[in-house]
Amino acid sequence: MDESQTPTEVKNISFIGRHRFMLFITLSVSVAITIVGVSMYIYSSSGAAQLDLSRPGYVSVRDQVTNSTSEFPNYPNNGPISQSDIDNFKSLYSQQAQKIKLVDAFSGDPLNLDSLVFSNPATTGQ
Amino acid sequence: MKAFARPVIICVGLAIILSGVLLLKVAAQNNAITPQQIEQIRSGCSPLKNTLNQLHVSDALLRVNMGQRYELMLTKLMDRFNSRVSSNNLNNTGLVFVSGSYNTALDAFRSDYILYEEQMSATINIDCTNQPSEFYDAIVLAQTKRSQVYSDVAKLNNLIDQYESAVNQFEKDYQFIAGKIAD
Repeated sequence: MDESQTPTEVKNISFIGRHRFMLFITLSVSVAITIVGVSMYIYSSSGAAQLDLSRPGYVSVRDQVTNSTSEFPNYPNNGPISQSDIDNFKSLYSQQAQKIKLVDAFSGDPLNLDSLVFSNPATTGQ
Repeated sequence: MKAFARPVIICVGLAIILSGVLLLKVAAQNNAITPQQIEQIRSGCSPLKNTLNQLHVSDALLRVNMGQRYELMLTKLMDRFNSRVSSNNLNNTGLVFVSGSYNTALDAFRSDYILYEEQMSATINIDCTNQPSEFYDAIVLAQTKRSQVYSDVAKLNNLIDQYESAVNQFEKDYQFIAGKIAD
């Protein structure tokens, strides 16, 4: 072994060796932060955040979520088709379509500034 | 060097003009509200925030419940019926076309709701006591985005009717074919 090279090699190895644990911790934390960052980005951009009623502030409406999956008919996607099958489908479809149209979701204009701000007694001080 | 100078100057000029237009637009937005209205917003900040919070929460519930129904119409009814028709070697072109449009409209509804909800959250986070003009502008923007969500809902309801018509047409075609076979 060349003794003149030994101190340099020992110096390099010992630096990594001395900080191995810190490097491991730093790398682990960096990976964890990156994964959390990516997860949060997916959570907010995919629309999951808007559907998540477990967030604070939504306590009052959590029990009002309806489980439509259980009441929705599961029309069989295979098998022969006859007039009765078509009639059955039309009946199921019509029932569900009626339920949807009864709600008229997001109608009205609750954000109309005239009624929200400028005519509201709470804001006009009347 | 000189060859690059002209396009750079043009780009810089366009950027200055665009910035000026945007600044004017922002100024115009902020100036649309009168001082009296600003004072009304300042004095009624708390009840306003409460109203917006309530709307935010009720819209979230509506989104979950109605979103489920719209999705199930597609997956449990339309797609299944289309599949069944296809597996019987019958013509389902009209049905597939409408259900495809419905799927596209459903995606638009989801996207537009995300934009609306983000705008509402941003609006609620504005301090309307110290920033009444910004609050006013944010509400106007939220109103526009909510209208877009409603128009998506109207389109979905329309497509539900269209699919029903397509099914009726399919039924007529089926009866015609079944009658011909019987003969």
